[in-house]
Amino acid sequence: MICASIDKCLHGADGEFRLGAELEVAEGEFVALYGPSGVGKTTLLRCLAGLEQPERGLITVNGESWLDTAQGINLAPQLRRVGYMFQDYALFPNMTVRGNLEFALRPDANKKRVSELLDLMELGALQQRKPETLSGGQKQRVALARALASEPRMLLLDEPLSALDAEIRVRLQDEILRLQKHFGITAIIVSHDVGEVYKLAQRVMVMEAGTIVRQGTPTAVFCGGQTSGKFAFTGHILEIEAMDVLFSLTVLVGSQIVRVVASRDEVQQLQQGDRVMLVSKAFNPMVLKLAD
Amino acid sequence: MNRLRGNIVAIDHNSHMSLVDVAVGVEVFSATLLETPETAAYLRVGNAVTLLFKETEVVLAKNLSGLISLRNRFSVTVISIERGAILSAVTLDYGGESLVSVITTRGVDRLQLATGDKVEALVKANEVVLSHEP
Amino acid sequence: MSHELGPLLLTFRLASVTTVILFCIGVPFAWWLANTRIRCKPAIEAMVSMPLVLPPSVLGFYLLLAFSPEHWFGQWLDRVAGLRLAFSFEGLVVASIIFSFPFLVHPVQAAFQSLPRSLHDAARVLGKSRWQIFFHVLLPNIKPALLSGTVLAFAHTVGEFGVVLMIGGNLPGQTRVASIAIYDEVESLNYAAANFYAGVLFVLSFLILLLVYVVNRRVPNGHG
Repeated sequence: MICASIDKCLHGADGEFRLGAELEVAEGEFVALYGPSGVGKTTLLRCLAGLEQPERGLITVNGESWLDTAQGINLAPQLRRVGYMFQDYALFPNMTVRGNLEFALRPDANKKRVSELLDLMELGALQQRKPETLSGGQKQRVALARALASEPRMLLLDEPLSALDAEIRVRLQDEILRLQKHFGITAIIVSHDVGEVYKLAQRVMVMEAGTIVRQGTPTAVFCGGQTSGKFAFTGHILEIEAMDVLFSLTVLVGSQIVRVVASRDEVQQLQQGDRVMLVSKAFNPMVLKLAD
Repeated sequence: MNRLRGNIVAIDHNSHMSLVDVAVGVEVFSATLLETPETAAYLRVGNAVTLLFKETEVVLAKNLSGLISLRNRFSVTVISIERGAILSAVTLDYGGESLVSVITTRGVDRLQLATGDKVEALVKANEVVLSHEP
Repeated sequence: MSHELGPLLLTFRLASVTTVILFCIGVPFAWWLANTRIRCKPAIEAMVSMPLVLPPSVLGFYLLLAFSPEHWFGQWLDRVAGLRLAFSFEGLVVASIIFSFPFLVHPVQAAFQSLPRSLHDAARVLGKSRWQIFFHVLLPNIKPALLSGTVLAFAHTVGEFGVVLMIGGNLPGQTRVASIAIYDEVESLNYAAANFYAGVLFVLSFLILLLVYVVNRRVPNGHG
């Protein structure tokens, strides 16, 4: 169980604001911090890792105090044993793939752990390569393996997949989920991708201007109350065109462009660029198998 | 989107699906859902819900007789008709609530619809979405 | 011939000793400067850069004053460490370190600053100490800058004239380095000897710089 309460002054694009967040994460849970950029998600994660210190705060992990500003306790990041994945991978350029993993080992660790992780993530063929020769997806897989090599007690993922293209992102999400289950490790991911949050997290905390404004299961949080439609996607409106008594909406859902028909009262409150949810009954879609 | 507020009066379900009866005023309408009371907490008899269905899913019929499988039938009055080249929007009055049906302009002509006509509006149960605001 | 090689050997001894000491002081100092947030950082950076703009004679003059046995600093050094820096090899080393300081510190500081912060953070969460991070993560990833800084400092010391003349004078085997010897030989119209020293310095400087450029082309930029 992780209990944290963080109070820190942040300098955002629109001036100063307070990061005032309280969160509880159960052992083995996968939680997402969701929200637009610049609301303090990454800072909150960095405070958990000890890379930044809040003015006031309290962090206890399984009863052990990591931070208690009132008592003057602030455990160094070196002693917190967290696995951290950075948006820019942060692989050590001077070390090979294997070298990166070996460097991450704890002093008392069995060297075999490196080989096991390389096998588990199918990185064996790349182990003698230097990071600069790897693709973005490969780099982030190495970064994930490295984070796990240090036998962390929790995994902190700071928008690890945002620099990757959609297809590789989906594959890495599978990978992260698989390893998180394999090790039964508590994980907190910072993300602004609804699809990613849906896929990975059991619980999502929505952050706005430094505070957690909503939390719950991704379905409860993103479907705004509860709607029985099963076929639901969020996207951005690219274009609204009138056709007869109806309107045609062109919507970007993920990397796909779809067109849907909407009535006048639906369109009245919409404009280009708005975020919308497209909901249909699970009965409607026809399913066609694609040739391989 | 058409919206009607009502209360759940009955729920039939198997392991994956439910047929939910919702009373709107004195009439009862149905929705089939890929949810059960176990997976969706709001599925409880007595809960207030809103029936949502798309204008293009509303069928209009005049002098309807014989048997029909559709469960959701509304006796409505035509308030106005907005004609387009292919499609027309027919605004209907259902006991003070306004509903819209979008059908082909040919359909409007075939039914010889005019303002003030009494017609039946029909919606298949699997086109109805239930919305619940906690 | 041996008396002719003396100034050259002295020059390279001076440059080598200076570079080794400078490396040991300058690299940690550059790291500190790259990370510090103290208020007087601009003043410190300005001080470090002074040798780039000052005439060597200015610095040499003040160092000479400070090192002289009449000055409290010179007296203090003599009393505490038994060092007499004016007109001695040790004095030249101290002066050269000060004078070549920016040539090492600037590229190394810039390289430390351009390393992504996440590398440092990643090593910290992996449980690594400051020194482990410094030696295993930071230094290996700024190799090109370390090489350029070291070589520039070395080459600059080899080429120094004014400051050496001011505080070292022209004592054979002690302070008579090649650049001084050239001046001296020209003064006495001994062009052949001047030409010999000048030619050796010219060729060696070129070879050293060539080495830097060739190696830096091969070593991929650590953080590219």
